[in-house]
Formats: sequence, structure tokens, C-alpha cells
Amino acid sequence: MKKRFPFWILGLVGILLIVLVPILYFMPRAAASSNDPWSKLPEHPVHVDHKDIVKGDFKTGQDVTRACLVCHKDAAEDLMMTTHWTWESKPFDVPWRDQPVTIGKINQINNFCIGTQGNENKCMSCHAGYGWEEGKKTEQANPENVDCLACHADTGLYGKGTYGNPADGVDLLAAAQSVRAPTRENCGKCHFDGGGGNGVKHGDLDESLYFPDENEDVHMGKLNFQCTDCHVTTNHQVLGRMIADNYTIDPKEQVSCEQCHVNQKHEDERINSHLTSVACQTCHIPALAVQDPTKVYWDWSQAGQEGREDDHFTYLKIKGEFVYDKNFAPTYLWFNGNNEYRYILGDKIGADGVTYINKPAGSIGDPTAKIFPFKLHIAKQPYDVVNQYLLQPITSGKDGFWTNFNWDQAFKLAAPITGLNYSGQYGFTTTYMYWPTTHMVQPATQALQCDACHGENGRMDWKALGYPGDPIEWGARATPK
Amino acid sequence: MNKRQLSFVLLLTGLLILGLGFGIQSALAKRSETPIAAASPIHPTFALLDANGEQVLKSGKNISTMQTCGQCHDTAYIQQHAFHSDLGLSAYAPSDKTWDASNGIFGQWDPLTYRYLSEKGDQRLDLSTAEWLMVNANRVVGGGPADTSREGQALTSLKSDANNPEASILNAETGQPEAWDWSQSGTMEMNCFVCHLQDPNNDQRVKAIQAGDFGGANTATLVGTGIVTHTSKGYFWNDAAFDENGNLKDKYVLIQDPTNANCAACHGEVHPETQEPLVVSACDLNYPQTATTGQVIAAQKINASGMNLADKQTLNRSWDIHAERQLKCTDCHFALNNPAHALELQGNNPDHLVYDPRKLDIGEYIQRPDHNFARGQSAQFNIDPELKGTMRRCESCHDANKAHADWLPYVDKHMAAVACESCHISKMYAPAIQSYDWTVVTPSGQAASVCRGVEGDPNSINSLVTGFEPALLNRTNVDGKQLLAPYNLITTYFWVYDDPNGPRPVRLADLEAAYLENGVYAADVLSAFDADKSGALDASELKIDSQAKQDLIAGRLAALGLKNPRIEGQVQPYSINHGVARGDDAVNDCKSCHTNQQASRVSQPIELSAYAPNGVTPKFVGGTNVQASGEIVIHEDGSVYYQPKPANDKLYVFGSSRVNWIDWFGALAFFGSLLGVLGHGTLRYVNFMRRPKAQAETKAVYMYDSYRRFWHWLQTVVIVMLLFTGLIIHRPDIFGIFSFRGVVTIHNVLAAILVVNALLSVFYHLSTGRMQEYIPRPYGFFDDAIVQAKYYIGGIFKGEPHPFEKTPNSRMNPIQKFTYFGILMVLLPLQILTGALMWGVQRWPAIAGWFGGLPVLAPFHSLVAWLFAAFIVVHVYMTTTGATPLEAIRAMVTGWEEVEAHSHEEPSAS
Repeated sequence: MKKRFPFWILGLVGILLIVLVPILYFMPRAAASSNDPWSKLPEHPVHVDHKDIVKGDFKTGQDVTRACLVCHKDAAEDLMMTTHWTWESKPFDVPWRDQPVTIGKINQINNFCIGTQGNENKCMSCHAGYGWEEGKKTEQANPENVDCLACHADTGLYGKGTYGNPADGVDLLAAAQSVRAPTRENCGKCHFDGGGGNGVKHGDLDESLYFPDENEDVHMGKLNFQCTDCHVTTNHQVLGRMIADNYTIDPKEQVSCEQCHVNQKHEDERINSHLTSVACQTCHIPALAVQDPTKVYWDWSQAGQEGREDDHFTYLKIKGEFVYDKNFAPTYLWFNGNNEYRYILGDKIGADGVTYINKPAGSIGDPTAKIFPFKLHIAKQPYDVVNQYLLQPITSGKDGFWTNFNWDQAFKLAAPITGLNYSGQYGFTTTYMYWPTTHMVQPATQALQCDACHGENGRMDWKALGYPGDPIEWGARATPK
Repeated sequence: MNKRQLSFVLLLTGLLILGLGFGIQSALAKRSETPIAAASPIHPTFALLDANGEQVLKSGKNISTMQTCGQCHDTAYIQQHAFHSDLGLSAYAPSDKTWDASNGIFGQWDPLTYRYLSEKGDQRLDLSTAEWLMVNANRVVGGGPADTSREGQALTSLKSDANNPEASILNAETGQPEAWDWSQSGTMEMNCFVCHLQDPNNDQRVKAIQAGDFGGANTATLVGTGIVTHTSKGYFWNDAAFDENGNLKDKYVLIQDPTNANCAACHGEVHPETQEPLVVSACDLNYPQTATTGQVIAAQKINASGMNLADKQTLNRSWDIHAERQLKCTDCHFALNNPAHALELQGNNPDHLVYDPRKLDIGEYIQRPDHNFARGQSAQFNIDPELKGTMRRCESCHDANKAHADWLPYVDKHMAAVACESCHISKMYAPAIQSYDWTVVTPSGQAASVCRGVEGDPNSINSLVTGFEPALLNRTNVDGKQLLAPYNLITTYFWVYDDPNGPRPVRLADLEAAYLENGVYAADVLSAFDADKSGALDASELKIDSQAKQDLIAGRLAALGLKNPRIEGQVQPYSINHGVARGDDAVNDCKSCHTNQQASRVSQPIELSAYAPNGVTPKFVGGTNVQASGEIVIHEDGSVYYQPKPANDKLYVFGSSRVNWIDWFGALAFFGSLLGVLGHGTLRYVNFMRRPKAQAETKAVYMYDSYRRFWHWLQTVVIVMLLFTGLIIHRPDIFGIFSFRGVVTIHNVLAAILVVNALLSVFYHLSTGRMQEYIPRPYGFFDDAIVQAKYYIGGIFKGEPHPFEKTPNSRMNPIQKFTYFGILMVLLPLQILTGALMWGVQRWPAIAGWFGGLPVLAPFHSLVAWLFAAFIVVHVYMTTTGATPLEAIRAMVTGWEEVEAHSHEEPSAS
């Protein structure tokens, strides 16, 4: 008999199809998520090891930069266009000034170490450049002054000293050979220790994030994110703007959760109904300064006391009295991403006893605003009693306050540098500065639950936020459809 | 800005700066401990009146709540409509059938608190009314039995009389009743403040009651508010709290709606704080709800609490989702005539009516708020049974079908059998009382008690709290629905004696007298119980575990004058309704219930007590809405367990329930067939080897056309898979790797394919007339069948040809015809029918019900499945009896079969 094609195989296939197709169709399955946040993360190409590339005898930081620029021709020019270099925002028109103003460390003050002008020898240790001394601003235009190592060298091999120059004893060759894409260590050197020590300033950025626990920060802890995963960087332009150094911020220039978490909805519709009025951070960052304490109060008026014992967390003769707090609930305000007000040098102090260094913009009537967590830093800092504006002292250096403990002299020295007249009478006034909380995102299981905000023991001051009462009973704000 | 404004602003600024300077440090260092009491925003001021209607400020007497609140509210109405006040008084009716005289704590004996409210005429006085108030100080709000006698007179009108349990008290020193003078102690009106004040002084109130100062108890509640002070000389009203008209000043009016804290003061552990870690005082009857059930109402996450819980880190959920979602006790347990909570429709209404706007006006409600509160269906509280089920239940707010639509199959069937709580309160994370053994007594007058859900000393912080899974018992709701619902079972053992009024629990005083002398164990008690001769009794020794011990104590009780002392035991189910978890944290694994009996949530045994005193088996208390249909069993080590029997509640739980004889019979049929064909096959093989190899003459016949082959193999695949998936559903504990839910889905899909295939095949056979092949011809059927049977037991071994030729038009021999007729015409339709009915219990439960429901259908379905499995074994074996062993199978694949060539004529195959 001729070997025929075994048609029964077709039958078998048919039977299996008839059985399997309906089973697969009816099998219970979890809905697949199409919004995978992982797909939004930048890729990390393997970095070329520079050990065998970087040669030469480096005497100064500028020597290193020249070597870098041989290959990375535009790097310095690119960096010099960023605020890491300029320390100054673009000009803003603000309603309380006739002329446009710029904001930055270069010309404005905060309520921590107050101001950099005349204090360059200390403050510039966090500037991405070399040799910035008072009066040498023009020299700064030189691309060779860009400090590549601050962000690219192994932090164990490199450190910065006075005027932003490499610290004494740094092996520049070893540091230069260690360069790589910036890590949390590089960013952390300045951003974790801002304000004069670990965790002083932000409350959501401190040295615990070098080796974070997943319960402290799910991105950096559990998933080992680097800063640049969210602060996506192109041509040295880092995404993300600091609200304290700006007046308004274009959302395109800001980092947001939605960068990766696109259209990710919560399972519970009741949670989703919060999204028009509550920022992600509000629930997902239940506490500030989870591991390391942060400064919440700084009283400069107590500085300079003779014979009082120094203690890092309560009193330092050069800085005054402090209060630190740890693992505490943030302050909540309506926030649309901008400042309503930013103190500009020379502004009058607040009439009601509180001067705002910055005041986040937004209100219950602002549909673009959401309730957002902030660290509120309260300070008592010097002001000119006659001129009614805040004063910036010279603190560091030969005749600075930290040497002589003489406020009067510190203000007199500063006057020609800041251009702000000093009447000879000073006092201390209360200032508020708000720092948005956006790091230290805890795992979803730790997010706030209903009772954290609603009910008798909730953390929200509904009346202060503009609600008639707890919205769980009084209803949400009316937002335009 | 004028000068005055300016100075005001300056002053304010100065104050602000000052305040900030001083305040910030302390404010940031620690949060304020207690919220500052804010005066009631809406309640008007009022005068405090005494019982005569005079202002207390003038009379200096105790406050009368009935008079004071009665200035605006109808306090008489409120008290008449308040089971919190009544506590069983209005139902008080002694009978000789039971020692319980009412359905409330006034008259119903609670073996946990143990003391018995003596009835009139009882020989031995245990609790008089006065002492009952003292003992229950923390649970009595006043009014009812606190100011009214059992006959309905004012207590103050009773004459002091040592022989009247309403006007006497037991003197603990002498053991003799003494007269009690109500006019001196005063009585206690219903205390509005204990629930309507922000921070009532319950400690002071309880102290006053326990001291017998009933008249001052309500005044004591106000101590600490600034309105009244208490010294050793009595209560003194504070002039400064009143205005010139004698009315309370605004800021002292702290009247409010009852908060969770108010309810918690008497009922159990409620923890409104989010910051302060929750710590539970284990099995502490000062928190009765928590002690008896482990229920805790707190918004806090369990792993944020201060409890030493097993696997605490994983318990990332709140103690009670409703507390987390900011529901208050009164949201569910509302005043029944509160217009804000009025139920949509009550009673009989025309079908078209969905809403009735006729409700009480808010003013009328405030004047006469019904203080009977909406309540659920609890087993342990039987007061005002007519109000059971007045509360909104889970399903009043939640739609179970929608809530479970995305994962739970057979939602309606589940909801018709299981109460929401059974899955959503799957585990208690606080300890609860397991047993109280009052057949013995400690030197401090306590029972030997055991807490469940904790390892080691329940009150030590070092003890590991393991929590416990509640027992599921069948509850009959007021609407007649029966549902499995979670309970804690508390077992108590105690001595009973005969009073002329009927049996009574032995008084604590008598029990102590039987065991103790001068506060230590009597010598002969010690020598009988002290097994290790240490001179003291530890927990393992303090139990009656022999007849000798029982006789000894019985003898000592009899010596006190107690007639016929004997041990009884009872099991009281306590309903668990709070501590709800949301879906993610509820039972949502099918195999929690659908697994073998000992592990299944619906039938797992629960320990009642570590021992039964001298083997006395406890009995479930009667008169509850719970059917304890299971068995109480005493294990070899003496421990007592409750073994649920879901079958007794007409429940059939796939994977857990099974009828043993069916499985045995089915397995026997299956393995018997296997054994039979193996034996037959071996014999055939042996004989075949012995026989000379003669190639029988065969010819190729086109035996099966393509459709037949198709439907046969499709049916083969489907039936084998159905048997296998059915087996998994039947015994999921053996096939742990398969998802129960997935297998159920596959089984249903396969069944649908089977039915369609069978119908098409029937159509084919009918339309082609081939159905007749299956129908045994009556004429000569038995003769032919006997011939064929003879062949199978004889000729086949000798290599004889088949007695009936297999042709395309007559492929089956008589036995085959009979078998296939049975399989295809009887078993298959039955299996399809029972399967479809089981599948249909979700949508058409009534139809399944006509046939006895799942408890009948499911075992029947299993039985037929076993028979199918046995048939397949034989069927597959029979295919090997063709010309060559694999010939018939090959034919079913290709259609062509080599069959023995019989001599007579036949149509040739094309």
C-alpha cells in the first residue's frame, strides 16, 4: 500500500485545538499591566574604564580638566550653562520688584548658613568648579575651571577644599583615572550634606541614602536607583529644579513620579479619587528623615556664647541653637510647583513677625495645585532693624563671625560685597523656608492609609488647607471638570 | 491703622515671636499629649438639677440626669427605649426550668463573671441587686435594675430586708446576708454623661458604684470636668463653672455624640490613636468584647501595634478596615429612629416603592431619640431579640457580586453558604478566652483559665501572640438564612447544686469555702491535688482529673449544705463581627476551605479546653441562633475539641466533603477492573505463547469513517481530562500544585465541549440511522451475549475466532452493545445532568435543590465518575482483543482495520 499522508494527525491537531482553545480562553488570568514603569528608565551603558586612558602629570585641578577636554570637547561649555555652575536662575519677573531678578546661591540667601557672598572659601566646596574667589568672577569664565572630578571621580579618591579647589593631598591622577557616570555618592557629597552637615537641609536627602534600606527608600534601597535614573541628564543638563532657587518652574524641567509611573492607577477607586488633589508624595512619603535626623529649627541669635558646650544636635558656638527631628510627619500645603514668593535680598521682612524665605504657591482654589508634603525649616536669623531687611553676614574667613564672633563686624564686612547697606543696628527675626519632600518614597505597603489624614487623629489641618472640614465627611473640593 | 489696632498688631506679633521661641522647641520635640477639649459647638447651656428639680448649685445634692437632661429631652422615653439601661430587667421572669431569669446580664448567669444574681427564695444569697450593681459597675449605665425593682417599683421604696435579694447584701466576712438600705445608698439613674461626654470620669463612677454610693455615681462621672470636685466629705459643685442664672458656662458644656471611645469604655479594646502603639490586655474581662472574641477596633496597622505577634512584619493591614476608613460605632449601631440613618424601607410596602420620605423631623428626634440601637445577629447577647438584625449588615453597603466578580466563581453559592465575616475576619490577632474552669478556684478567688492565641502567660509581654482562627458555625439569621459565621468558643466548667428553687451554680463563697481555709488551700485539698508534693498548687495541678478529687470536693461542698453537687460544662459561642480585613487580606485562596477535612476552614477542629474535669463533656448552650452541628470529642490526652460536621448542615464543600463509601466503592470498581484485565491479559499472553503461531487470515476493512473517529477521540481526550480534573477537585490536598480555581474552570469548559460533542454525535447517529448499532436487539440477545461471554472466558485464550464478525455496519458484539448502551444512554446523560445541576447552583439553586442539592448531586457525580474510570480500563483492554493487540486502536486512528476473515459473504469495503 502506498504510504499515505497520515490524515489522522490533522484530526489530532483539530481535537487538541477544540479542547485547548476554549480552556485558554476561559482560564482566569490577571489583567496584564501595559504601563511598565521599568520601560521608562534610562539605560546604563557600560562605562569605559579610564584607568589606561588617563595619563599625565596633574598638578592642579585645571590640569585634569584640560586632559578631559581633549576628548570631551563640549563638556565644560555644556556644564557652564547649567545651574551647577552658574548657581543662578534665569531672570524672573516678580510682582514685588520692578526689575527682573535672578535667584541662586550666588546672590540670594536661605535660612541655614544664610548666604555665600564673601564666604566663597567655604561655600564653593560644593561648586562644580575651581578657584572661585571673591572678585575673580571673570576668571570663572575659563572652561578649565570646571571640576569634572567632583561628579565623576570615585568619592573615596577625591574631595574639595577651599574655593572649590581640590583638597590638599588628593592624588589627582588616581582620582582622574577613577572617573565614571555619577553615582549617589557623587551627588550626595553636596546634596546630602547641604546646610553644613548630614541631613541638615532637605529632610528627604541624607547620607543614609548611600546604603538605604528598602523601607526607607524603595527606589534607591530596594531597586538601587542612582540619582540620574530620575534626574535624567543630557549634555550635563540635569533634569529637576530646586524650588528654593527659582520663582516658577516649567513642569518640563521638573522630575515627576509620572515620568515612569504613567497612568498607573490604584486598585481602589477611592484612592484614585484623591489624585486630583493629593500629590503622590503625600501618601507615599509618610515620614521625613526616616533614619538620620534633619534640622527643623535654627536660632542664629544664640550663636557666639562663651563657655557653652558644643553639641552637634543642639548647640554650636559658631551657629547657635538647633532642633533636629527624625522620622516625623511633613507639613502639608497646597502646591502647584511654583513659589508664591521668594525672598530677594533687600526685601522687607514680614510684618507679622514671620519672613518667608520661600512660600510655595497654590491654594484650594487652584486646580493645578495638590496637597504636597514639605519640610518646614524655621530659623531666627539677623536683620537690619532700621532698614527692615534680612542681613547676610560674613561668617567664614579671617574676620568672619566664626572667627571673631562679632555680628556687627560680620555685617559691616558683608555690606560692600552684597551691596546692601548696613545701618549698624541688627536684630533677629523668624524666617520660614519650605523644602518639598519628594525622596524617601517608601514601599507601597507603607503608604499612608485613610486614618492617617482623615478622622479625629488625622495629620491634616483641613481648615488651614481651606476645607470646611474633613473631606471624608464634607466632600472634596470642587474642581473644574 | 489707628493706634489701638497698631498696638494690637504689635502685641500679637510680639506674642507670636515669643510663642514661637518658646513653643517651637517643645512643639517639635513632642506632640501634645491630649487634645484640648473643645466645648460643644451646638449644645446649649443648661442648669444641673437634682432629683427634686432644684439646681444642684443651690441644693448641693447629687445631679439627676433624668431631671437635668429632661429639661429638653424626653428622658422617660429614652430610658424606656434603652436596652443599655434595661439589661434584662423588663424580661425578668424566674422559672424552675432554668436558673436564667432573663435574657440580659440582669438575670442571665455568665459563667465568666461567675457570680449569680439570686432569685427571690433562693436559700443561699449570692448576688443581691446591690452587689450585682457593684460587681457589674463597669457595665451598668444606670436606670433599669439600678433604680427599679424586679416588680417595677422604685428600689427606694423597698424595705430593708436581709431575706430579700433586692434589699440585702452578702456580708463577705460572715457569709450571711444583711439588709441593704436603698434610701441611704441612693439609686442610679440612667447616666447620660458616660456616653455623651467627651471625657467622662468612668473610673470615679465605677469607684462610687463599687463603694455602694449609687446615688453619687452620676455626679462622680463629672469629677475632673471642673464642674464638681470630690473630697472625702462628698461632692462639691464649683460655682465658677456656672453663670449667674445657674446655667453651666459655655466651655463646660462638653456634650457630644458618642464616640468610639465612649463605647469602648464598656465594650472592649478600641484604639483611636494612630501614633501610640496598641497594646491589648489579654483576656481581660474589663474589655469584654476583646476578652471573649479577640476583636479589636483600631485603624492602626497590626504591625505598628505594640503586640508581640507572630509574623508581625507581614501583618501590614489595619486591625479593622472600617476603623481605618473612619467609620464610627454609631454609624452601624445607630439610634433606631435617627432620621439620618433611617433604613430605606421597613415592613410591607408595594413593590414599586423604593424610598419613603416620611421620617422623623430632626427636632423630634433630638427630643425623643430611641436609645435602642441597631444591632446584628450575635449569639451571646440575647437581650431584646426583636431588635436582632436591625443593623445594616455587610451586604447593605457592599455588593458581594461586584466585589468578588473578578476572581470568585460561584459568588452567589458562596454567599448563600458563608457569611462575609467568615472570610473577611479570618484570623484574630489578639488572644481570647478559651476556657474557664470554675470546678477549682485559686486562692485569689479566680477560675483556672486558659487564653487561646497566645503562647505562655497571656499577660507577659514576652509571650508570643499567635492569634487564632475562629470556628465556623451555622448561624440562622432573623430572615431565616443559614450561613457559616465565625465564632470564638468559650468553654466553662462549674459546680452545680440543687436549691429548692431549682439547680444553681455553686456560689463563689461556697467554692472558696470548699477549697480554702484562711486564704490557703485546706490540708486535705492540698494533699489530694499536690502531685509533686511542693506544698503549693501550680496550674497543672489545679484541676479535677480523677474521681477521687471530684468526690473530695463534692464532699466538701455537701458538707457546706449544698445538695447534690455535680460538675457541668458548657460551650458558649461568641460572635465575631469586628476586625474586618479588606479583600487582599481576607481568605482568598480556594484551598483554605477546599482541602481535606482536617485542614479546611469549614471543618477544622478547634480546641475547647485542655482537659475536661473528670471527663465531663461540655454542652453547647441552648437558645442561640447557632447550630453547633458538629461533635465534641475528648482526645486521648484529655483535651476537648469541637469537630465541625458541615454535612450535618447540608453543606457540601468540594475537596473537603466526601462520602466515604462512594470513594471506596468507586476505587474498588476501578482497581478491580484493572486487576481483572491484568489477569485476563496475562492469561491470554501465556496461552498465546504456548499456542503454535498460526497467522489468522485477516482482511482490511474501512471500519470507522472520519467523523466517528473524530468524535471518539475528542470524547476520549475530554473524558480523560474531566476525570483527572474531577479527581483534583475531589482531592485538592493530594494535588497541591494545581490551582483549584483554574482546575474548576477547566473542568467546566471540558464539560461544555463534552456536551456539544455528545449532542453532535447523537445527531450524527440519528440522522445516519447508525444509532441502531448501539441498540441491543432483543431477539436472541441473551443467547448471543452468553456466546460472547463464553468466548471471553474460554475461546479467547485458545486463539479461537471471535464469535461475531466485526463489520462497518455491525461493529459491536452483544456485550459491547449492552455496555455502550449503558454508558452512552445512561451514565453519560446522568453525569451530564448532575454536572450541569452542580454548575447551575450559582444561577438556579432551586433546581439543584429539587434533587437534594450539592450533598446529593456531588457524591452521585463522583460515583458515576468512578464507574467511567473503571469502564475506560476495561474498554482500553478490550481494544487489544482484535486481530492483533493494537489493531483496533490503529483502526480508530486510520479507519482501516484488519479483521478476521469470516467465511460468509459480506459487502466489500471500498
